[in-house]
Amino acid sequence: MEIELQLIGAALRSVADEMGAVLIRSAFSANIKERRDCSTALFDRRGRMVAQAEHIPVHLGAMPDAVAAVRAHDPGPADVFILNDPFAGGTHLPDITLVTRTVLGFAVTRAHHADVGGAQPGSLPSDSRRLEEEGVVIPPTRLDDATLDRLVSRMRNPDERRGDLRAQLAAHRLAAARVDELCARRGAARVEAAMDELYAYSERRVRAAIAHLPDGRFEAADRLEPAGGGELEVRAAVTVEGDEIEIDFAGTAPQHEGNLNCPLAVTRSACYFVVRCLTDPDVPASGGAFAPVHVRAPDGCLVNARPPAAVAAGNVETSSRIVDVLFAAFGHAVEVPAQGQGTMNNLTLGNDRFTYYETVGGGQGACPGADGPSGVHVAMSNTLSTPAEALELGYPLRVERHSLRLGSGGRGRHQGGDGVIRELRVLEACRLSLVGERRVRSPQGARGGEPGAPGRNLVNGEELPGKATRDLEPGDVVRVETPGGGGFGPVQSGH
Amino acid sequence: MLGVDVGGTFTDAVLLADGELRTAKVPTARRQEESVLAAARAVGAGEVERFTHGTTVATNALLERKGARTAFVATDGFEHLLHLRRQDRAHLYRLCEAHPEPVVPLERCFGVRERIGPKGVLAPVELVPGARVVASHEVAPEFREYERASTTAIDAYLGPVVARYLEGLGNACHEAGLPEPLVMRSSGGVASLAEAAAHPSFALVSGPAAGVVGAARLARLEGIENAISLDMGGTSTDVCLVADGEAGRATEREVGGLPLRLPTVDLQTVGAGGGSIVWRDAGGALRVGPESAGAEPGPACYGRGGTRPTVTDANLLLGRLPERIAGGLELDRSIAERAFAGIDPAEAIAVVNAEMLRALRLVSVERGHDPRDFALVAFGGAGPLHACELARELGIGTVLVPAEAGVLSALGLAVGDERRDRVESFVCPLEEAGELPAEGEADLRYAGQSFELTVPLGPDPAAAFHRAHEARYGYADRGRQVELVAVRTAEVTPGPELRLPCAEPLEARGPARIDLEGATCWISPGWVGVRDGTSSTLRLTDVSRKGDESGN
Repeated sequence: MEIELQLIGAALRSVADEMGAVLIRSAFSANIKERRDCSTALFDRRGRMVAQAEHIPVHLGAMPDAVAAVRAHDPGPADVFILNDPFAGGTHLPDITLVTRTVLGFAVTRAHHADVGGAQPGSLPSDSRRLEEEGVVIPPTRLDDATLDRLVSRMRNPDERRGDLRAQLAAHRLAAARVDELCARRGAARVEAAMDELYAYSERRVRAAIAHLPDGRFEAADRLEPAGGGELEVRAAVTVEGDEIEIDFAGTAPQHEGNLNCPLAVTRSACYFVVRCLTDPDVPASGGAFAPVHVRAPDGCLVNARPPAAVAAGNVETSSRIVDVLFAAFGHAVEVPAQGQGTMNNLTLGNDRFTYYETVGGGQGACPGADGPSGVHVAMSNTLSTPAEALELGYPLRVERHSLRLGSGGRGRHQGGDGVIRELRVLEACRLSLVGERRVRSPQGARGGEPGAPGRNLVNGEELPGKATRDLEPGDVVRVETPGGGGFGPVQSGH
Repeated sequence: MLGVDVGGTFTDAVLLADGELRTAKVPTARRQEESVLAAARAVGAGEVERFTHGTTVATNALLERKGARTAFVATDGFEHLLHLRRQDRAHLYRLCEAHPEPVVPLERCFGVRERIGPKGVLAPVELVPGARVVASHEVAPEFREYERASTTAIDAYLGPVVARYLEGLGNACHEAGLPEPLVMRSSGGVASLAEAAAHPSFALVSGPAAGVVGAARLARLEGIENAISLDMGGTSTDVCLVADGEAGRATEREVGGLPLRLPTVDLQTVGAGGGSIVWRDAGGALRVGPESAGAEPGPACYGRGGTRPTVTDANLLLGRLPERIAGGLELDRSIAERAFAGIDPAEAIAVVNAEMLRALRLVSVERGHDPRDFALVAFGGAGPLHACELARELGIGTVLVPAEAGVLSALGLAVGDERRDRVESFVCPLEEAGELPAEGEADLRYAGQSFELTVPLGPDPAAAFHRAHEARYGYADRGRQVELVAVRTAEVTPGPELRLPCAEPLEARGPARIDLEGATCWISPGWVGVRDGTSSTLRLTDVSRKGDESGN
């Protein structure tokens, strides 16, 4: 690779990283500042992603759709576009995306806001049936002060929303300035060539790694646990041919009445995540890394939903299940990890005065050569926990317990990771919304490893279903026990 | 004044007396106290007024997990805190990659019935006496329980090991007629032996901090208050920003992958140095490090069996190193050439420079400082080889290369200020905080944010915060409430004055190579190096910049 392009490429990646640092450090939502539920990226003029600061994988493949949606509106050099519509470049409504132009393309920030004005406080209702119930739907819109005021006035804590959006805007100003500086030093043509090379470089690396996978067609299916009982099947066929992969979700359940539906952008992110884990985990994030991966899903199915489907849990839960299905499919060809907790255990508490949202880590499935880590996010998330001391300062809540759920990981030659026990006592009346999966079906072991323990939700010791909404009184205690990961290989004698 | 800095391979001593400077280098022995005394003897230390020590005993004990058998006791329900961390996994896409093991295993983590809320004690605790107990409020009295717990556990874990070492060293010094050593802490301040032994976690970046202190004091001697230190050694490079003569400070740092919530000089460390291996990855990109040839076998050109190309080999091939370096080692060009078959050494230098540039930008541009307002102080064995090219990339017009480039950390020890840091937690609106100290620093944020900016206390800390926020993040929100999170004060006793001998005047126009003691300086084309006879420091100036006011 030409050395100058490599060096400019490194500088472009630094710009994406610095955007992320500015956003996290100046934001107001716990989701963004404590948990880093956000991503930042640079795109070229053709709308291809060339560098991304990834904090969580679910944003991995979903940003190009946002740029495509904005490009259709012919953005001017000074325009700021805002969107969150899952069917027009977004993922789920709490993820608010801003897109601006740089002299050589686009800058994008996406951040999970604590509330976007849905019927319930917080961003993740357990029982929404239509997108509109989940909050303010923002199609790609030019953002000016009046629009910003109008939008945040329809959400809870408008002042916090405004603060978070200002933090996002700060990252965009930085991107514009840094790309300008780089062009002044190196020349715009060279920077543009470096963007092409960043894309091509990742593509080369991933193609080389895919070429090492055995060719063939591999199938798998798994099920989700929708509110109110029943099951929803996610089915995938993976075809590896040479240095390309095709993933087809034909046979997956149709979109449903609840909110486990996914827009295709989220489904793609889950596919890219699995391919990356199995091919080249260290490849720099750019669109090129995913160019050899083709994703197809029937229109109107659970993983390629159509309006007005509710999608709040698709991003967090269905995406986790897609990962399980794809690992299972690839498992016919290569060794893959056992299943991890397969859920993000979304917990929302709120009333008119406050909104608090968190996700809770659990057990990672054991790998062919190592135990699964305990108490971590396992697939499409990697958000941090909110410190109890930060939480108690900011909200009328008290953390009563935050510990490992010892023994919940599946046994095996390599042990599955343990889940987590988290207990929150509410100090004022508020509404609870819980969205969890793997409450019925356990995370499975691999190659003879034992399954992990399924998760549980309780209020004052009384068991609730995986997806639940209820009003709480001061003093009530919510307890979430997250699933353990599956073990890998049979338990060996003497253990 | 005597300064002794223990490094991985060598222990350096600097003796300053009546404007005279003596230096010595001895190999580091397994028992560090022996190397310390050997270095003191080698430098001819006799009548010493003050002896300051930089040690890696704490760092090594942590990295090699050779601390004491330690238990962790927390509020019931939080006993697994050290193992839960912040629930993020170690690598986004390598799912079973393990985090560094906490210093206390799970079976020695205990919960007790006790609880403190934001407003004070909800249920009190009584501790059984008899063990060496470290309470978190003694070391890191700040909110965020995981980071505080990690810091406290590390402090307890290192306590007995470091106390034993320092006690032994103190006795040995007494027998050798040396004063009781002071110890450099990560904050860049010096503490008494007893203080250092009580809380060893404060000294985990002792040596690198001393280097920054040395760089700051040396720059001041040259009339420069704003500088960036560049300390490039064999396996890693540390950079730090010095503004108004003071090293930038941070409140948290990771060591060996574990967070420490303690005052430290704001060092950025890059895993690349002279011994870093050059390689090409699967995508065809040239890469440098993090793998290093280390001291053994060392770079290929050392002729000790290394065959893979390193940064040092690249510098040799480009004519930037002499055939014979300090210590008398002969460099073998032909082995370096073989190692670099098919790789352009200039490209390898460009790649490693890009890594360092990233760190230099992080401490300057990304913190709201314009590097063009700073000089670069280059030291460590390899810093002066790369300084001109790095400076030009950043628009820096002046590079200082001390004659003592090979032992600047020891020099920083010899003259470092004594310093005791205090932190008081607030977490309340700034206007409700009551009277604050006139001097020191405040950690402030907009109410609702989670990250603070540290600004100087003074007549109007709020205004200083708005300005800092604007510089760092590009906007200020003057209508929003400002929250005080912590007040940081330090009791500082200035260290001795630094007086260095003068060296022969010298002028060299790049490209040129200047051999120093323990380091080599490369003057790039377009740069001029001058030593004017009033000091020992070589001042490099970018003369190609004349008429280019933008500095780009």
